[in-house]
Amino acid sequence: MASQTHLNLSPAELAYLHASLSLTPPIRPDGRSPTQYRPLSAETGILPGTNGSARICFADGTEAIVGVKAEVEKTRARWDDETIFLEGQEGDEGAEEDKEKEQGGNREWVELTVEIPGQRDDDSGTIFLAQMLSEALLADGAFVERLKINRGWHWKLYLDILLISPPLSYPLPLLSLTTHLALLSTRLPRLKSEGDEDPFFDDDWAAAPHLYPKDRKARPPVTLLVMAVGNNIIFDPAKEELAVADVALAVSVGDSAERTGKTAEDEDMEVDGRKLRLLSIRTVDPPSRLTPPGVPNATNSAYGHAVAGPQQQKMPEARAVESEAVEGVWKAPRGGAKLAVMGALVQKVLERGGVADEVLDALEAVDLS
Amino acid sequence: MASLKRSLDSDSLAANISSKIYVRSTKSGKVQKIVREVYLRQDIPCSSRLCQTCPKSAPSDASGKLIPFVLSEAPAGTSSFPQGHYLVPDTNAFLTAMDLFEQDSAFYDVIVPQIVLEELRNRSLPLYNRLISLTKSEDKRFYVFFNEFRLETHVARQEGETVNDRNDRAVRKTVAWYAKHLAGTKAKKVPAVVMLSNDRDNLRKAKQEGIHAFSLAEYVKQLKDGEKLLDMIPDAEDRDDVKDKRPGDSLYPEYFSMSKMMTGVKNGLLHQGIFNVSPYNYLEGSIRVPAFPKALIILGRENINRSVDGDLVVVEVLPKDQWKEPSTQVIEEDAITKNENPDADDAEDVVSAKERKALQEEVKRTHSKTTEGHAQPTARVVGVIKRNWRQYVGHIDQSSVSQSAQQGRKQDTVFVIPMDKKIPKIRLRTRQVAELLGKRILVTIDAWDRSSRNPVGHFVRDLGELETKQAETEALLLEYDVQYRPFPKTVLDCLPKEGHDWRVPQDTNDPGWKDREDLRHLLICSIDPIGCQDIDDALHSRPLPNGNFEVGVHIADVSHFVKPNNAMDTEASIRATSVYLVDKRIDMLPMLLGTDLCSLKPYVERYAFSVIWELTPDANIVSAKFTKSVIKSREAFSYEQAQLRVDDDSQQDDLTKSIRTLMALSKKLKQKRLDAGALSLSSPEVKVQMESETSDPIDVKTKVLLDTMSLVEEFMLLANTSVAGRIYEAFPQTAILRRHGAPPKTNFDELANQLKVKKGLDLSVESSRALADSLDRCVDPKEPFFNTLIRIMATRCMMSAEYFCSGTQAYPEFRHYGLASEIYTHFTSPIRRYADLVAHRQLAAAIEYEPVHPSVRSRGKLEAVCKNINVRHRNAQLAGRASIAYYVGQALRGKATEEDGFVMKIFSNGFVVLVPRFGIESLIRLRDLAEVEPQAAFDAETYTLTTSGSRDVKVELFQKVRVKVTDQKDETTGKRGVKMELVKTY
Repeated sequence: MASQTHLNLSPAELAYLHASLSLTPPIRPDGRSPTQYRPLSAETGILPGTNGSARICFADGTEAIVGVKAEVEKTRARWDDETIFLEGQEGDEGAEEDKEKEQGGNREWVELTVEIPGQRDDDSGTIFLAQMLSEALLADGAFVERLKINRGWHWKLYLDILLISPPLSYPLPLLSLTTHLALLSTRLPRLKSEGDEDPFFDDDWAAAPHLYPKDRKARPPVTLLVMAVGNNIIFDPAKEELAVADVALAVSVGDSAERTGKTAEDEDMEVDGRKLRLLSIRTVDPPSRLTPPGVPNATNSAYGHAVAGPQQQKMPEARAVESEAVEGVWKAPRGGAKLAVMGALVQKVLERGGVADEVLDALEAVDLS
Repeated sequence: MASLKRSLDSDSLAANISSKIYVRSTKSGKVQKIVREVYLRQDIPCSSRLCQTCPKSAPSDASGKLIPFVLSEAPAGTSSFPQGHYLVPDTNAFLTAMDLFEQDSAFYDVIVPQIVLEELRNRSLPLYNRLISLTKSEDKRFYVFFNEFRLETHVARQEGETVNDRNDRAVRKTVAWYAKHLAGTKAKKVPAVVMLSNDRDNLRKAKQEGIHAFSLAEYVKQLKDGEKLLDMIPDAEDRDDVKDKRPGDSLYPEYFSMSKMMTGVKNGLLHQGIFNVSPYNYLEGSIRVPAFPKALIILGRENINRSVDGDLVVVEVLPKDQWKEPSTQVIEEDAITKNENPDADDAEDVVSAKERKALQEEVKRTHSKTTEGHAQPTARVVGVIKRNWRQYVGHIDQSSVSQSAQQGRKQDTVFVIPMDKKIPKIRLRTRQVAELLGKRILVTIDAWDRSSRNPVGHFVRDLGELETKQAETEALLLEYDVQYRPFPKTVLDCLPKEGHDWRVPQDTNDPGWKDREDLRHLLICSIDPIGCQDIDDALHSRPLPNGNFEVGVHIADVSHFVKPNNAMDTEASIRATSVYLVDKRIDMLPMLLGTDLCSLKPYVERYAFSVIWELTPDANIVSAKFTKSVIKSREAFSYEQAQLRVDDDSQQDDLTKSIRTLMALSKKLKQKRLDAGALSLSSPEVKVQMESETSDPIDVKTKVLLDTMSLVEEFMLLANTSVAGRIYEAFPQTAILRRHGAPPKTNFDELANQLKVKKGLDLSVESSRALADSLDRCVDPKEPFFNTLIRIMATRCMMSAEYFCSGTQAYPEFRHYGLASEIYTHFTSPIRRYADLVAHRQLAAAIEYEPVHPSVRSRGKLEAVCKNINVRHRNAQLAGRASIAYYVGQALRGKATEEDGFVMKIFSNGFVVLVPRFGIESLIRLRDLAEVEPQAAFDAETYTLTTSGSRDVKVELFQKVRVKVTDQKDETTGKRGVKMELVKTY
């Protein structure tokens, strides 16, 4: 899917960018190191009426707001599900069945909408963004598990993701971080009823627990945008950088500290208890693939070379042959991403103490009100 | 990466804005986070007349006038506060001791913080209304202080603080602010500001914060007549002690949590309904739940589990082995000594949900069978959704009073026996035992803990000596919740200014004449009981040239005087009906209207609302017309006078002739009605004759039915039916109608079975027609009263008729079963029934006499009105009957007569006898039959009780017996009632 930022860069400029990003170490137009994120300012609790909300503003002026609202909803029971009435009966088989069933139904417990100014809400780009973001949340079922109240009831979450500035760069990292932060600040009313009774809640908002309790390790997933130019791996690309990417990936990682039980506990004892887990990968078509290849002046009709010879027309394949890599001339990357590069990208993301860790740490430091 | 938090400090007005965040759970199950911004202000006055500063900033009304300040500059003092004091009660104080605040002797200058008012409204609407009327009364000087909006007294909820704690803190803050604020007035004597609370924690914190605070008891002790007032305070300390007791002491099982009950009810495992106590057995209750066709039975103290008659409770069906037959025994509370100890009910918890589910099916199956004498499903109460406690009239149980208490003024615990036998004894602590003995007193229930066998209450008011007319009448009115206080001034202000001098304007151009027909030339007369002052209806008839008759029913035009939504209308809608006691009438409308201006008195012109028909000689309706009119009644007859006149052939004047016409037509109408299947039901009605001077009862007479009564009745029915059709046509959604549901067949099961077994008679109940016919067949040639007896018993199987708003029922449900009419309403007695007044307004709008008033068009409002009228109507009937029963008892006082009676109901240890002569029924127990209680064999199949031993009698159902009727003071209820002794059986 194309990241639809349209850039007015000449082939020469593109070639220059590509060249500088291919250096070791790469030189990025804004002077960042390959793993450095753009500076951002973040705040939470900006929408008092929501269960959780956040705002993040990147230094380049892009800004997003996310609001999370929760509603109590009855869990649809399967027609043959007797378990709701039978409290004491806890067979192994039944439990397993439960799991399976929930995996299916759970998807509907989260409704996520993305709004990008100036774009229709059924624009394919917007839908793709929403899909990527919700995919990260739903991928391993750990998130929806939190929404369960009891066997008969669950929370339904509505995530409203709004980009409030024009889309100056591909907004995926911004939206993902804001969503992450909003979920961190999300609180659900404290449950007072027990077991499978109809839920009944404490009226004190101050007593409402966080969806992701601070003292626990688990964190909501985050989706990072990573790209590769040559052998260089670059995080959080700006729009110019994305324009010359060989390959761009949206990688969603989650913190699986709580999921894996014992092993996780063992690791908790280590310095950094975080255990990153890959949740999903999506390739993003960088605009570079859509830009037309540069044409040497010699063959460019705009420069007065009337080459519309009958010979050339007879040999259409000549057009393809024409572009040998020429220094200083932009040539769009062709073919798929190399498997090795993909592997390296993912590796880099999941690296302990790497970018993902750094981002999660930074967001954790935001004051949750 | 940097994070930032927008802070409110930069906003210079930030201090004036606060927000309140809480979670609200709606009825539909939604859970919402609610954020409310609160704008704080500093111009909310303290309303003390001492204050110099507040009047400067206090807001004024539209005409630029300051709202007068309420709190006195020289409030009363107490022993600890000689300089005077203002009171600030917390919610608890109002909840537990509202009666105290209504005292005349103390409790003046009270500051009611807004938060307290709001909390009170959430906890108890009746108490809230009482407090509101206190704040409105000028001499009590109650002031509502909006503490939540005043900058200095606003309190934000702290982390982990409960709402109650926060509200208590808000009250304390208000007290502190007032103290500081008043100190700033530099008055010579600055009144102290005193917090009243019964919450120990709140008191402790107040002491810590240096605020004057007392518990109610401590405070009342400082007052002059404190001793007396002390009884009106429920003992908070006492209850705290109870809580500290070991849980093992509990007598009753604990209630389920609210959410557990709600889930259970939704899943159909638990059932919710109103708890009713059997009038014959205080340990047996029943509850009707929507899931089953028959009521579930609740037996025994543990299963009843602290529910009181009328409470909305949740029950659980018991396992089948615990199902029982409804008891055939009479059990009265006083007769039962200590019984059963609380064990043996852990067993239920073992029962799994699946079994419980199956149990529900079993109930249905058992119910569907015709199971006379089989075990009936039983249930136990697992929780109370809503208490329906009110104030109860009773008297102190002599036997519960210790000797020492009768002398000193020491606090003593006694039992109060409520007049209503369905209410358990109430434990009461009082210092006035000696004074209250032998008096009718009013008490309320405060609580019923798991550890106490009886509910705990407190004393409210004493009504006077037992068996004095005044005390008994007031007791009766209180018991049936009849509004008997005089009309307030606001209501009287709505009366016409001319008072009794009001006349129908002579000038026909007067606005009062607009659209009114002049019917003054018609020969109209009214027929009512002797001494009737509020004459609702009058009649006329005249022959038409075409051989048909014109018949008119003229009803007092009350809606002309009572306009919708004014104070008088509101009062009338609350009272809903006039209540007729033997010696007293409690009016729905002020006397001026009821007995003069509206009343269709003879010889004067009156406004009326007329229904005029053209009837054929066979009493078929040709046409009907509704109009507002002016009439002049020629004569007000009593039933007897009218009857004499009709029967006297020498009377040949036009008026008498017209009554004869009416009589002839009414007989045809009645026959038609009976042919359609109208029931003629019966209830034992008697009339108490009073001595005119002292109004002491001297004799009891059964009512005689005269043809003139049925004449009036027939035309009223006709008018009601015609009007019902007309207003339903005009307002299909909101017409106020009256329906009488067909009784469920099961209601007649027992009676039908009894008739079959004892008399070999069949009772068919398929339709009202079938029932009417089979009732006609229920005759015993030897015993003319037998038919009436069956009718009385059949009447008790019926549903009660009710008012409703047409939009709430489907048309087939409109049917009036007893009258066999498709549609019916009440139109003919607007002076004494509110429903009729609403019908008048609707009819007036339907005939375009006046525009439709929103109040007669709003379905929600009308539904509320109907609900209230139905309750009041029932209460008025019960009060009337109770009054008759009381006077019958008084009339029989000191006399012993032998009368014939009939056995109506039979138990294994007694039977109920109805004496038609006095319209009374009474229970004769086995132990009343002889000195030594005879042995008895009870055959439930044949309804026969055979005694042997000290006395040999065989008593059967429907049997005629000779009884000796004497009066006796019932020690349990303090009522003088009738005692019957069996003389012989026929």
